[in-house]
Amino acid sequence: MALVGSGGDGVITMGDMIAQASASEGLNVIKIEAYGPQIRGGESSTTVRVSGNEIFAQADAVDVLVVFNWKDFGRFRGEITTASSAVIFSEAKDETEVDAGDLGAGPEATWIKVPFIDLAKEAAGTTLAKNIVTLGLLSELFGLPREPIKKAIEAKFSKKKAGVLEANMKGFAAGVEFAKGLDVDLSARRLEYTPGEARLLMSGNEAAAVGAIHAGCRFFSGYPITPSSEVLHFLSHWLPMVGGSVVQTEDELAAIGGVLGASFAGAKAMTATSGPGLALMTEMLGLASMAELPAVIFDVQRGGPSTGLPTKSEQSDLWQALYGSHGDAPRVVLAPADVEDCFHTMVDAFNIAEEYQIPVIVLSDQNIAQRSETLSMLTLDHEVKERSRPTAAELEDYKRYRDTPTGVSPMTWPGIKGGEYQTNGLEHGEDGKPGSSFLLHEEMNDKRYRKLRPIRDEFHFIRRYGPEDADVGILCWGSSKGPVKEAVLRANARGEKVAAFVPQVLYPFPKHEFEEFLKDIKEFIVMELSFSAQFYKYLRTFLELPEGHTHIFKRSGGKNLTVTEVEEQIAKALPLAAAERGVLV
Amino acid sequence: MSAVEITLKPGDYKTDLKPVWCPGCGDFGVLNALYRAMAKLQLDPANTVVISGIGCSSRLPGYVATYGFNSVHGRGLTLATGVKVARPETTVIAVGGDGDGMAIGGNHFMHAARRNLDVMYILMDNEIYGLTKGQTAPTTPTGDKTKSSYWGNPEPAVDPVELAISTGATFVARGFSGDMKNLTELFQRGIQHHGFAFVNVMSPCVTWRGDAQYGILKGKLQHVPEDHDPTDRAAAMRYTRETDVMTTGVLYEVDRPSFVDQLNHIKMVAQGDKPQPTTREILETFYPAV
Repeated sequence: MALVGSGGDGVITMGDMIAQASASEGLNVIKIEAYGPQIRGGESSTTVRVSGNEIFAQADAVDVLVVFNWKDFGRFRGEITTASSAVIFSEAKDETEVDAGDLGAGPEATWIKVPFIDLAKEAAGTTLAKNIVTLGLLSELFGLPREPIKKAIEAKFSKKKAGVLEANMKGFAAGVEFAKGLDVDLSARRLEYTPGEARLLMSGNEAAAVGAIHAGCRFFSGYPITPSSEVLHFLSHWLPMVGGSVVQTEDELAAIGGVLGASFAGAKAMTATSGPGLALMTEMLGLASMAELPAVIFDVQRGGPSTGLPTKSEQSDLWQALYGSHGDAPRVVLAPADVEDCFHTMVDAFNIAEEYQIPVIVLSDQNIAQRSETLSMLTLDHEVKERSRPTAAELEDYKRYRDTPTGVSPMTWPGIKGGEYQTNGLEHGEDGKPGSSFLLHEEMNDKRYRKLRPIRDEFHFIRRYGPEDADVGILCWGSSKGPVKEAVLRANARGEKVAAFVPQVLYPFPKHEFEEFLKDIKEFIVMELSFSAQFYKYLRTFLELPEGHTHIFKRSGGKNLTVTEVEEQIAKALPLAAAERGVLV
Repeated sequence: MSAVEITLKPGDYKTDLKPVWCPGCGDFGVLNALYRAMAKLQLDPANTVVISGIGCSSRLPGYVATYGFNSVHGRGLTLATGVKVARPETTVIAVGGDGDGMAIGGNHFMHAARRNLDVMYILMDNEIYGLTKGQTAPTTPTGDKTKSSYWGNPEPAVDPVELAISTGATFVARGFSGDMKNLTELFQRGIQHHGFAFVNVMSPCVTWRGDAQYGILKGKLQHVPEDHDPTDRAAAMRYTRETDVMTTGVLYEVDRPSFVDQLNHIKMVAQGDKPQPTTREILETFYPAV
């Protein structure tokens, strides 16, 4: 269901209460919010998907739409689509003509005008209670968990001044009564479920922040930027509670500088940013590679280039993360594909950074970062690794950048006697002393790049969906996984031989796993939200994707990938896969 | 077995790396004064970090046998922030030149001072870019002809001392690389200061400002009067933007909680006397509140 209104209409609160109540009943929830560019007020929407079954993405089309004001809805045109059989509630006083086709609604849709304003005024004495009236209405008609919703209302208003809670409860009852009086039969639309154990409800940014704490991160420096700031907010609360520190720096240059300083001093350290901030950090990313410092950089992608679409998702920082640097600067690039992944990729990121003394970029995106999703506690367990420090014998003749078979040299930090060394961003020898000879440069480049192979061999964070004997294979990454997985599972249920491959490790490139997946595939689909097809072009640097059999679905971000878009690609590829291989169509 | 007192001498802080500086460079004086100050304070090399950005003077950490980091242009103070916050027991000394600290790194200077970051920052001011061979710096006087200002520098110079006082540094001094005794003392006091200690050292560049720079600076040299009250901000400001004289000594010194103090306070408030939360306990806060 989608709820749309102006700031002050309380649609965000309403979405939150539905999500909280549903999670408390053990239901699966995915909730997203969208806002206009205004800092306060302006249009806002929240879309909540609730199901007793597993869900992997937001829905393409909503079954229920609540519109307090059609003018506000107009600003989300093309972003919120209704199912043809949707139930559409709108404010009775709003007489705007609505184009049902434009909305996605068919002749079988149910249109219900509701006097939200009058009901709220009469029952609660204030129009502010419109959202609570709506909760009553929706819980009565669709079987949303009523008692938990009432508890959520209590939790929100019980600390307000006397009478406020009572007024809102009257508003809720008015919504229920109004629903009972409606002459429509929506019983087939009711949410049917068996209550289960309460689930966690988290956003990707929150999951990433908890993952960082779990991994042992005790230093964070960052600069506010949408859509990553929640990481800064969360850690400013929790990191001091576990003995760590948060520094809100003057810019992103200082943010990564702080991380490298803290890491040099022996702490597990990270920053979080979005594309424009990562651009500013790029010079010091090279320093991290050169000085071989563990560092974790969490980049929540948004539409770009430049200021772009700060509040919308896109998958177009890929090349910046993979290649952004002067010189040959090895780094690791990971990409969570859902909220739970954010926890795990952050722990992996710290483990890799610390074990291999290399910067690790974690590429999230606004879709994963800011949506709320239900998770199970049990899945959030992950081993933590530490950086290797020299033995007492090695300290006798300590060389910070000692050449080793894996390229990893035991590392000291201030406080360790005998481990003093002077490092720099200049090319340097095993002892850290600057040198500019070609031979030294070649040797040390080799040492720094040597770490990538063991990283590739040790970390296999990839996902595969669908049957082993699939004919059609979809390659995607990041938040595209949700709709792709959902489409693949639906296709499999129809007996279609479709599979998907989603790497959470993007670099070093998991070539073996890709080739294993692709070897019997007849038709390839690459799906991504990058206008210039960054992921497809990246794949081509490592893989042969045969022309005529490779279908590229790429478009700008700004709107999340839909299951329908994936299904359309599958429908195109399936008949081609059935034809003789080698025939160009 | 009786305990043996090991006394570190200035030379014990030297690495075997030979400085790249030109003969006669003021930075030798700064380095020697720093060795002496470190020896006077018997700084433990294992618990000392010297950090710089990029420039001639930023090569200095390579010559000091402690933990050291010659980072990237303008960013020395950002790394110093990370080191000090992550490991507060460490003595952190940041160094750099006037281009590094006042131009490309100017923003970080202001914020390190504002935070009262617990480091000593030595700025080796030669009024020119040396490493890139003689371009105008933010400290180059108006009208001076340099490689990048053929017709003369059209911009006024910044006085780093004035900037430090106005942005919140709690210890501000000016020194001269040719005045070893006083410079050593300034560094000693700067290292011991609680908070952001800034020492602007006039450090001549014989290659790009000419041998005459020593003479000119020496001629202007005057020590701050005995009766100067360093806690008096207005009085300290009188020794900034000087043209005919160059006043050295501790110009400003006040006591204010440092950045580490503030962060420690936050940790204390956040933790109270509770044990640190486990990952599971943090996750449990995400169960619905209903």
